[in-house]
Formats: sequence, C-alpha cells, structure tokens
Amino acid sequence: MEGVLAALAAAFMIQLSNVSKIYPPNAAALKGISLQIERGECVLVTGPSGAGKTTLLKLLCCEEEPSEGQIFINGKDLIGLNNRGVARLRQQMGLLFQEFKFLPHMTALDNVALAALVIGAPRKESYNKAYRLLHELGLQKKCNAKPPALSGGEQQRIAIARALINDPMVVLADEPTENLDAALAEETMRLFLKSQERGTTIMVASHDLDFSQRYRVRVISLHEGCLVDDSNPATKKGRTG
Amino acid sequence: MKSSQLGLVGRRVCSSLRARLWTHVLIAGTMAIVLFVFGAFLLAQENLQNLLKKWGDQIQINAYLVKDLGAGEVSLLRDKIQNFSEVEHVRHISRQQAWKDFQAALGAQSHVLEGLPEDILPASFEIFIKPAYRDGPIVEAFANRLRKEKGFTTVEYPQEWVDRLSLMVLALRWLMWALAGILFVAIFFIVRNTVRLAILARKDEIKVMRWIGAPEQLIQAPFVVEGMLQGFIGAGLSVLGLWFSLRFLRDQTPTSIGLFGSLDRLQFIDWGSIALILAIGSLLGASGSVFSLRRFMRTWRG
Repeated sequence: MEGVLAALAAAFMIQLSNVSKIYPPNAAALKGISLQIERGECVLVTGPSGAGKTTLLKLLCCEEEPSEGQIFINGKDLIGLNNRGVARLRQQMGLLFQEFKFLPHMTALDNVALAALVIGAPRKESYNKAYRLLHELGLQKKCNAKPPALSGGEQQRIAIARALINDPMVVLADEPTENLDAALAEETMRLFLKSQERGTTIMVASHDLDFSQRYRVRVISLHEGCLVDDSNPATKKGRTG
Repeated sequence: MKSSQLGLVGRRVCSSLRARLWTHVLIAGTMAIVLFVFGAFLLAQENLQNLLKKWGDQIQINAYLVKDLGAGEVSLLRDKIQNFSEVEHVRHISRQQAWKDFQAALGAQSHVLEGLPEDILPASFEIFIKPAYRDGPIVEAFANRLRKEKGFTTVEYPQEWVDRLSLMVLALRWLMWALAGILFVAIFFIVRNTVRLAILARKDEIKVMRWIGAPEQLIQAPFVVEGMLQGFIGAGLSVLGLWFSLRFLRDQTPTSIGLFGSLDRLQFIDWGSIALILAIGSLLGASGSVFSLRRFMRTWRG
C-alpha cells in the first residue's frame, strides 16, 4: 500500500490520502480528504468560513501536521519531516496567507528580496527581480516603505511578490485578492497564471467563485472539513462546472 | 553558505547590534566582569610563578667549611663537589670575603662589628644547583649527601620558603580553575538566559525566516555570531580592565612589598593568556547562543 501511494505521489505534484486534522480537544477541521493535483495545475479551493480551506493549505506547507493520513508534495512524504526538510520544501513554495509575516524593520523591497537571498540567490539578481515584481504589482513607488506604513492591499501585493520571486514549484495562496480592487486582483491573477505557464502548481483558497468561471480552473469545494465537490473529472466526485 | 547568505548574516548581525545595543552591552559587560575575575587569578598565578622561578634561579646551598681546612684540601673538596651531577658551579667564600660581604650587607650599621676579629666568620662554598635538579626533594637529598662529606660543619639551603611558595602557586592554580569552573557555568547560564530573552524578542523574525524557507544554519548564524562578538568584546574589556588595575596597583602602592620584592617587577599576563581569555569569552558567548537556540528551534515548527 505504501509503495502504491509513493508511486502515485510521484506522478502528482500534490497528493493527499485520507487526511484529517483534529484540533484539541475534538474539533475536526478536515475529515478524510483525498485528492491529487497535477503538476502545473491551477486549483481553487472554496467553501464557507470554517470549511477547512486554510487548514488544508497549512498542512501543505507544514505549518500544521495532519492528525491522520498522508500528504505528498512532488513525491515527498511530509509526515515526520524535520526542520531542515520543511525549510527545503518551503524554498520551493510561494506562500501567501492572510497573515503576511513580514519583517517590519525592513523595506518592502528588502522583504521581497529576502526570500531569494535566503536560498542563496545573488544579491543583485534578487533585488532586481524583487523590484520588477513590485513594479508589475504597481508598487514601484513603495519599494522603500516599511510594511507597517502600507495599506492592507499594498501589504498583500508585497506578499504576492515574495511568493513568486523564486519561481516556486507550488504556490499556496489564501484569499490572495481579498484586499485588492478589481484591477489589482486581475493583475495578481495574471501573475499567478503566468507562473502556472512556467509549470508552477497553483492552489488558491477563496470565497470568490467568479474566479473559477473567469479563469476556468478546477474547483475543490469543502464544507465542514469534508470534500464535497471536485470539478476534476479524474476524481470520483466529478466535474461540476 | 553562499556569499549572498553570508552577507545576509552580516546585515542581520549589524541590524541587531543597532536595534538592541543595550542588551548586547549588558551581556558583554557581564562577561567582562566574570572574565576579569578569572584574569586576575591568572595574573596572580603568573606573577607568583615568575617569582618562584626567580627564587629557583637563586637556589644555592651554603656549605660551611671546618675551621682548620688547608688550601689544598679546600681545592680538592671544591673539585669533588663541582663534579656532582646536580652542581652547576661552586663558589668559594673565604673568611675574609665572608667578613667583607657581611660588612657590606650591614651597610651604615657595620660599625657594630668593630672590635671583632676578621676571621670570626667561617669559610664556605656557595653551591649552585642545575635547573633540572631544582626540585625540593632532589635538593634535600643532595644537601643530605653533602652533610655526610668530611670538611663541612653545616649545610643550609632556603628550601622551606621555596616549598611554601610552590604550594601557594599550586593552591592558587587549583583555586583559579575551580573558581573558573563555577564562573564559567554561571556565565554560561547568564548568556543562555539572556539569549533566550533576545530570541523571544526576535521570535517573529525567526518565524518569518522559517516561513520563507531559510535554512536552519542561516537562522541561527546571526545569534551565534552575536554571542561570539559579545564574548570577545567582554573578554577584551576584561583584559583592558586588568591592565589598568595593574597600572593602578603599581602607582598607588609602595614600591616594595617585602618578600615579593618590587611591585614594578609585576608582569602583565602574557599573550598566550590574553588569547586564552579572548578564546574562552568567544566560546562561552557562542555556546550560550547555540544551546538556547537548539531548544527553541526544536519547539517551533511554524
């Protein structure tokens, strides 16, 4: 069974097998989730508040550990991964959560470039790329501002730039367009899709169902921790549109 | 670690030194006080050892000759003693020479000798021992051998003082290392707890670094470098403190302290000891950081 799972895992970028997450004392955030996401696929995870969208993303970036089940990313089993393994995994990921996690004493440009510097990218190249991304997101005039001095939408765009700077293998984004106006949301999605064209697997958690209609992506619906719908024809739940 | 990562470590250290200057000053100051105490013991031990060596260089056995020994017999006895393996050289002090030396030693008070016959003092040999044999039991055994020689009335040597000073240096050395052990454990815990506070203050920074996939060594390196710097600066301050204290001691106290001779002769610790203090300071600072970090890194996953 283990061997079959590992073989399947190698074929997909993300694979979850019967994954549950129970927070003490007995609050089940996810219940028996199984799904596969192919390399370069863009997936929208949707559902009402408390459905388990954020928990699912946290399990995928190892911020939380599942109570049950197995998770593979690019064929790598995440269960029991040590700190070094988690760091290696995150170096290949772009993470964009509702809590942005910036270094407040550093400028916007520094915060974005830092993600490239920590993996050993040359300093000049890191800063050039950080500047280019901030420029594309309309923040060229805010490069030297520190995050606490910026609005929620501006901070969100810095986080987007940081998530994309290393051309990650996987992008996990929790409500990435929540604080943005329509034009900026559009620009953000354009950047994500451009990244997808280069082979990045994108997983976006959002309430916004228009997103799936506009960009024709696979939709995974969660409700009270259960997977209730998956638009991917390859899964047993079937495509819902 | 790549050059860009090394640069990042350097910038994080500088930024922390600027942002938390007083915390760093406090840790370095604490280390300086503890290392100063250790250095003071090292200074005392080195100076007593120098004094002992100087005394050792002057170790001589005085063997007083029987009164009616002829010049030929004196010469034969001198050659015999000179041939002992322990002996560096032998100096014959005639009765007249002994009288002159005694007069010179009395200086202005030499008039008290007026009326006394000039041959009242016995002739003697000053027997100087080779450095390799200047050990208490060896000198004692050699003196006993001399006592059995015909031609000597009394054989004397200042062994008691040398033994006492040797014991004192040994006791001081043990006391220094015992105290150093206690001080180093204390400083280790002080640094560890201070670093813990610094880590808690920078918890968010560590979390952000982890969030973006920074390798463990990149997260830990600035803390270790800071600990090492604090230790090095603390040790440097303690060496400076010792130097000024010694100067003060030389300036403010009488030039002579009896048996110990002149305070001007007090030596500052040698370069090896300075390097030892600097190395101990750096090592304590770095290890305090490493131990604190290890615990925190194990417990924080996010």
